[in-house]
Amino acid sequence: MPSQPTTLLQGTLDLLILKSLAAGELHGLGISRRIQQMTGGTFVVKPGSLFPALHRMEEEGWTSSFWGDSENNRRAKYYRLTKAGRRQLEAESRRWGRISWAIAQALEAS
Amino acid sequence: MPVLVKARSLLRNLFSTRRVERDLDLEVRSHLQLLIDENLRAGLPPKEAERAARIELGSPEQVKEQVRDKRLGHGLHSLIADCRFGARQLYKNPGFTLTVVLTLALSVGANTAIFSLVNALLLKSLPYPHPERVGTIYTRIAGSSAASDERHNVNGEQWQLLRDNVPALISAVSGVRASGVNLKAGSHVDYVQDGRVSAHYFDVLALQPISGRNFSEEEDRPNGPKAAILSYNLWRNVFGADPGILGQPILLRSEPYTVVGVLPEGATTPLNADVYTPLQPDREGEGRGTNFRCIIRLRDGATGQEADAQINRTWLSRTGRYELAGNPGAKVSYHSVPLQKGQTDSLRPQVLALMLAAGLILLIACANLAGLTLVRMMRRTPEVATRLALGASGWQIQRQFWIENLLLALVGGAFSVGVGFLALKELFLLLPEHLLPVASMPLDARVMVFTLAVSILTSVLFGMLPALVARRVDLRSSMASRTVAGSGNLRLRQALIAGEVAITVMLLGGSGLLIRSLTHLETLPPGFNPNGVVVAKASLDDVRYHDPATFQKLLEQSTAAMRQIPGVQNAAVGLDLPYEFIGNDWVTLDDGKEAGQQGGADWVYVTPGYFETLQMPLLAGRVFTNVDGPNSQHVVVVNQSFARKFYGGTNPVGRYIDKDMLIVGEVADVPISSGLDPVAPLQTEQTMYFPAAQLDRPLLALLHIWHQPDWIVRTAGPVEGLTSAMQRALAAADPNLPASGFYSMKDLLARTLGTQRIEVALLGAMAALALLLSAVGIFALVANMVAQRTREIGIRMALGSSIGQVMVQFGRSGAAASLLGLVLGLALCAGALRVMRSVIYGVGVYDSTTMLFTVLTLAAVTLLAVAVPTLRIASIDPARTLREE
Repeated sequence: MPSQPTTLLQGTLDLLILKSLAAGELHGLGISRRIQQMTGGTFVVKPGSLFPALHRMEEEGWTSSFWGDSENNRRAKYYRLTKAGRRQLEAESRRWGRISWAIAQALEAS
Repeated sequence: MPVLVKARSLLRNLFSTRRVERDLDLEVRSHLQLLIDENLRAGLPPKEAERAARIELGSPEQVKEQVRDKRLGHGLHSLIADCRFGARQLYKNPGFTLTVVLTLALSVGANTAIFSLVNALLLKSLPYPHPERVGTIYTRIAGSSAASDERHNVNGEQWQLLRDNVPALISAVSGVRASGVNLKAGSHVDYVQDGRVSAHYFDVLALQPISGRNFSEEEDRPNGPKAAILSYNLWRNVFGADPGILGQPILLRSEPYTVVGVLPEGATTPLNADVYTPLQPDREGEGRGTNFRCIIRLRDGATGQEADAQINRTWLSRTGRYELAGNPGAKVSYHSVPLQKGQTDSLRPQVLALMLAAGLILLIACANLAGLTLVRMMRRTPEVATRLALGASGWQIQRQFWIENLLLALVGGAFSVGVGFLALKELFLLLPEHLLPVASMPLDARVMVFTLAVSILTSVLFGMLPALVARRVDLRSSMASRTVAGSGNLRLRQALIAGEVAITVMLLGGSGLLIRSLTHLETLPPGFNPNGVVVAKASLDDVRYHDPATFQKLLEQSTAAMRQIPGVQNAAVGLDLPYEFIGNDWVTLDDGKEAGQQGGADWVYVTPGYFETLQMPLLAGRVFTNVDGPNSQHVVVVNQSFARKFYGGTNPVGRYIDKDMLIVGEVADVPISSGLDPVAPLQTEQTMYFPAAQLDRPLLALLHIWHQPDWIVRTAGPVEGLTSAMQRALAAADPNLPASGFYSMKDLLARTLGTQRIEVALLGAMAALALLLSAVGIFALVANMVAQRTREIGIRMALGSSIGQVMVQFGRSGAAASLLGLVLGLALCAGALRVMRSVIYGVGVYDSTTMLFTVLTLAAVTLLAVAVPTLRIASIDPARTLREE
């Protein structure tokens, strides 16, 4: 079982959360499962990391939340991207692309 | 707008805490439910589904705490929460809180009051434009036994050289102090203070009249036109703020003076006079001696070095160098200093000593508070242990502790401002008028900042020790035992008490010495009978009384009228009285083996009844009679010190001084405030008494500029309406001669010893405060020990100890600490009190009476502070305390 890195690069978790919401609104567990699915099970985000990040991102204005009903009629808090959130996702994606390219270059160099 | 979103979140987190928390709680619960649902769908049995979900979620509280930690405004929020908690803790311990706040209020309040004094005297700028350019001149004498660096008064020659040869400065001189003159406005005559100043005096201070102008150089020339500048208050109170006063004559000294200006409201000068007239300084007359006081202002573009160089060049070229008299070979130089320093230099050591004493009070308070806080910390060990066990970090515990200290400091600081304000008001009532060269001691911003800083510093100082101790709390043992470990800190607390007692001993010793010194001065053998004497001053600085015959007629008529007052035994006039500041002059001995010898002697003129009225014992020869007139042999009466100094104690009667003056009598010494060689504030000195009837015209004019004569009456007992009868008697001789006030000899003594009385009052108050704080400290130490060890006491008594034994056992810790402090304090006194040598008189630094007084006071207070809490032991019931727990 791949373990979750305890020290995710700062911003990585944000990027994953933003990406998971890009397709539409999700509640906390939904986001967690979506990240798991998107990364092929590499990242399992535990509630202790997920919720602080979600609340912080809402305070940043990247997401907004509302209470809704889940698929089997449970009340759940849903999150969706705001305009600022979409801009942040684009910016983060570009940044991440640059970083991963750079790291890959560095590793290839002999 | 992200900023707006953030602000909204912050506000919501801070002010809608409950809603945010409920929302979070619901969200975590719903998450758990969703997890359970998921597991159920995966086919787990219900119990297993819930267990797995709970494992995945972890502790809900921890998840919530992690969210809270990340929240916007989290730091602020928890700070507020800690403050609330702290305030609640303090509220729940009113005894502790009250003690701390009172201690802080008193100790910081003392510092606030004394610092206001420092601020007003030494820190606040003088109320003139560019105060840093206003100064005066110091004379530095080096290379001789009497080295000094202080402000000297200057003579006419120095003044003219300064005025003409120092272009870097605007300079001015004034009389040494304002003097009383009679001002006639309408039919009414007032006794007002006249400040005699040279031209440009107000230019140096950069004071511009609100109407009119400053004195011209023409008006400042000898025998120039007589002009006057009114203070705002005089203009308003006496002349009804008459706008047409400019150019009008007013009657001063029975001569018309033309008003040329009115000063602005609130304008102050170093002279603090009601009216100003031109000094008209010259090398002759008054200007022969050093009777002027100079002030200077650097001109724009000039530097202090330039000015000093110019002053030295011109003053060192003088022919008459009085600084070298009796001091040949001394190296004399001059330098300018800021006027503020010049005005307050003599008070500076006293004020700084008081500030030091106030700082010591603060240390004592800190020691007390450290002890109290330590005990409180120990009591809270279980609470701290519980919080640590529940996951609080050491930092959180420390932070809570410091927040409580800071809250205490701020509350205490706020109260201390009130205490300081009241103390200052009392202090000002205590001070004789014009003793301080400042008009007010405001609690300004600087004082407030000082108070705040001192309060916070105090809280840091007293919190440090307990904080260090608290870091060593052992979680397991304190959780397990639940008892409060205190004995390990007993030594520490005893050391604190010993330290504060040592400081208290020093303050007690210091104030004891001051009290002894003041008592010595107040009980000096008077050499006359001060009881039943009432005196009135009146100004004879009046053109009519420059004539000896008129002067003589006034003295005879007024004293005769005063002798007619029922109950009055005798009346006389003299300039001056015992206890007063007395002028002096050089005297030359003219016969015998002492012929040609010279020396300084104090100088008093009297009417024939003076010695009888004051009941000064005549030791040899005779006193003056009405026969000693202007045309008879010029005679003089000297005192015992004069005979001792100039004639080796042999009978001086029949000897001649100053060519043709015959000594006809010798009287006892009286204490005076010396201007000749001031060693102590009150001392006896060689003095000459002259008959008022033999004074010549120029001397009369000069003397009465500086001094006002006293009318003296002696009564057998209290006389109803004596002062108004005296005023009527004076008016019968001259209706235009108001008395400046009526005094008893006790009043004069109190005024002369004003500084000493204030020193005693202030240092005494601080010593009393130190004693109180130490008593509280010792009391708290013992009381706390008794409270903590009630059970142990119960066991001891059950095993057969008597109450007395246990009381002694427990009282001993407080007494031992106090004793150690006493020994330490006495050792400190031996070193520290030596600096007081220059301010105490008639008593040595190692004064056994003072030491005994200190030891006894401390012993009594210690006994009281130890006894009261140990009395509680008597009420302990061994059976009950053993059943408890």
